[in-house]
Amino acid sequence: MSKSLLRTAVPSSRPSRRGALAALTVAALIGSLAACSASPTPAETNEEVAVVDGGELVIGAEQEPDCADWIATCGGSIWGTYVMQIPTMPAVFETRLVDDEWVPQPSDLVTGEPTAEVAEDGTQTVTYDINPEAVWSDGEPITSADFAYTALQIRDGDDIFDKTGYDRITDVDVSDPQKAVVTLDSAFAGWRTLFSVYGIMPAHILEGQDRGAMMADGYDFSGGPWKIEKWTRGTSVTLVPNENYWGEKPHLDKVTFLFLPDTTAAFQALKSGQVSVLAPTPQLDALTQIEAGLPGVKSQVDARSGNLEAIWLNNAAAPFDSVAVRQALAYSIDRDAIVKRLFGSLGIDKAQQSFNSPMVAPFASDDFSQYTLDLDKVDELMKGDGWKKNGDGVWAKSGETATFSIKTLAGNKRRDLTVQVLQSQLADAGFEMTIDQVTPADLFGTIAPEGDFQAGIWALVDTFPDPTLSATFSSVNIPSEANGFSGINFYRADIPGLDDLLTQVDSEIDTDARIAASHEGDALIAENVPSLPLDAVPNVLLWSEKVGGPLQINPIEGPFWNLAEWGLAG
Amino acid sequence: MITFITRRVLYSIPVILVASFVLFWAVRATFDPLAKLRLAQDPTALAREVERLGLDRSIPEQYFLWLRSMVVGDWGTSTRTGTPVLPLIGEALWPTLQLAFWGLLIAILIAGGISVYSAVRRQYSLGDNLLTGASYLGIAMPAFWFGLILIQTFAVWPKEAFGLSEPPLYFIGLNSPGQTGMLDYIRHLILPVAALMIALVASWSRFGRAAMLDALSSDYVRTARAKGVPRRQVIWRHAVRNSLAPFVTVVALDAAILIGGLVVTEQIFAIPGMGRLFLQSLVAGDVFVLLPWMIVVAVAVVLCNLIADIAYAVLDPRVRLS
Repeated sequence: MSKSLLRTAVPSSRPSRRGALAALTVAALIGSLAACSASPTPAETNEEVAVVDGGELVIGAEQEPDCADWIATCGGSIWGTYVMQIPTMPAVFETRLVDDEWVPQPSDLVTGEPTAEVAEDGTQTVTYDINPEAVWSDGEPITSADFAYTALQIRDGDDIFDKTGYDRITDVDVSDPQKAVVTLDSAFAGWRTLFSVYGIMPAHILEGQDRGAMMADGYDFSGGPWKIEKWTRGTSVTLVPNENYWGEKPHLDKVTFLFLPDTTAAFQALKSGQVSVLAPTPQLDALTQIEAGLPGVKSQVDARSGNLEAIWLNNAAAPFDSVAVRQALAYSIDRDAIVKRLFGSLGIDKAQQSFNSPMVAPFASDDFSQYTLDLDKVDELMKGDGWKKNGDGVWAKSGETATFSIKTLAGNKRRDLTVQVLQSQLADAGFEMTIDQVTPADLFGTIAPEGDFQAGIWALVDTFPDPTLSATFSSVNIPSEANGFSGINFYRADIPGLDDLLTQVDSEIDTDARIAASHEGDALIAENVPSLPLDAVPNVLLWSEKVGGPLQINPIEGPFWNLAEWGLAG
Repeated sequence: MITFITRRVLYSIPVILVASFVLFWAVRATFDPLAKLRLAQDPTALAREVERLGLDRSIPEQYFLWLRSMVVGDWGTSTRTGTPVLPLIGEALWPTLQLAFWGLLIAILIAGGISVYSAVRRQYSLGDNLLTGASYLGIAMPAFWFGLILIQTFAVWPKEAFGLSEPPLYFIGLNSPGQTGMLDYIRHLILPVAALMIALVASWSRFGRAAMLDALSSDYVRTARAKGVPRRQVIWRHAVRNSLAPFVTVVALDAAILIGGLVVTEQIFAIPGMGRLFLQSLVAGDVFVLLPWMIVVAVAVVLCNLIADIAYAVLDPRVRLS
């Protein structure tokens, strides 16, 4: 198992991350397993409003991408993916709502579901039949040469954001322009991510050129419903319809995304009508604004998210080097109360019960639901482990007390509130917790990789709907001198039997077997409580009444995934 | 006068060089230019960059390499955007200069007017006291808070209260998307300029008032009055002209600081200027932008000082003689 960037530790609730199209091998089982997931919050207001053709919209965007070369490290901003990549780059799979679950569906770039076969020698072949109607914005057909160019740029390139899967490609057969046959040196369960997360790049334009330089400031080609008309750095990106798009054409003549990193200014812009749509991070100031009411503004809130916040416990440092203490801590916390305090105003009051985020809900069990506030259980576990309460009501053993510090990022108001509530709850249970605010650079640069903490609170982000617990909990991903301090198992979790199960989840092609292994792994994790999941940060979409169409949050492709169907309310 | 200006310009060159070396040394000591590359754990790429940037050499050697590149227009590549630094700074400088120009111009006119009014009207009159109180309020008021008040009052509230289809004044950027008209520009400019100049007007009007009071109580004004020179002429030709010299110095110094210090205003009003570029580069640890950014601001400080010196010499010939 190697370190994967598909799940990333992040400093804030809306981090830079690789956005995702679709890539999951679970379509067939979604329905039966939906009950295992955190239940999505129903949309407050998402009835479809009729639209007229023509007109322009201005939308607020929280972050500006650093560059538009999506495969490079500078192109890692999720907002870049939302506002430019998804509208312009053709992709094999797109995430669509089927039976109330978001699942990968073959896009109209291909004529049907690609076929994936594993040979007896272990190699895997994926065959893509390309839609003959698919063309670039200059009229040139999209062919297998574009697949080959994209695959090799990622596999062999420098400064690539994430090569997972592409690093297994040994050959792309381009003998038929309408059929790309991709060979991988070993079975890759997440093969649907290929040519989906990054999309496809045009070989006839980029071959032999400096791709990074040509795409960094935006590009004039497109294989999607929109083209980038103009990117004014620091200000805005403007999209116009791609006249040569072979699918459904956009209703709007123009869409401009204004970069508004300041939450307060963004809300003022929405209230004053300078922007018509916002997708704010649910930080406390945003929640306050929503609670205060926004006249003439409709909203949707969805708890299905890949942004998972948790209390991370260092399994190699006292007092959390004891399973009993970790379990006792889990019984000391009323996680539902914390979630309700944070997101109650959005109608969300249930804690996350698995480290598999709601975005990969079918792979998640709810084994952590056994840990509810139960002080009798805390007493039983702590006493069983040899602890006794001292005169201050704090657990003590062999001259040491159950005192620990929790690392949290300075400036994150939501987490400030979380640790304050935690401190109070834990004091009642006999744990003494101090709060240590640190910078993201210190936390993820040194403190976490070196294991120099007892507990911490931060988020892990699933960057596409494929389970990635191996990156998080496999023992080989514990940062150490031996592996150059790579891997994000900062909490030094080393649970017997778990590595094998997570390896199976990574490489098993059979969906049923993958999910079964994932559920077994989930149960083992919950039993050992290497850390404690708290909540998935919900997605929020706000729009003015002048906007019509089927506005709906897509947890993978973001709030603007179906921008072509939006328009001015008719 | 030409000799004076030439001498002042020549003095500025070593000042800029020393400032640039100190900044270079300070930035090299606090930021790792290869931090991002180190995360990739690619020793070959790391060694290549160390050699390309001369990081294995002494600080003075690195400085001269860097300076040579700067002089020939190679300002490096941003690690954040992967694009050349020179156009990044050039693009950010233009909105900041526009904002600074209008802010300074209007602040000078208003502060100058208040200074003359406060000093010429009876000292500690009701009007003088009201303006003094307003000045203290202006100095004490945080820029971000005042900016938000302006936005609420002139953009959000009228739209909500009167059901307007668009706000009377805008507060995002310097133009609406796709608009280049003067009216649109003015509607975008008014609020950030107001937020920017409030503290300047407040402090300059206090300074100007004191300078005017000094001038009005000086011997040459008393002599002019005794000789029967009309009051208006005494004020404008003698008092105002003589109080301008110290006033110009303060304005020039504040103007230089303003170029680099528009962070709050640009953030609130989403203006893609030097302040925002600094914030973005700082957060990303983009040393390749931060260093040239600081040099540009340092040059602006030296340039504004130069302008102040020249203006001072024009207003007071004794400066040239000394």
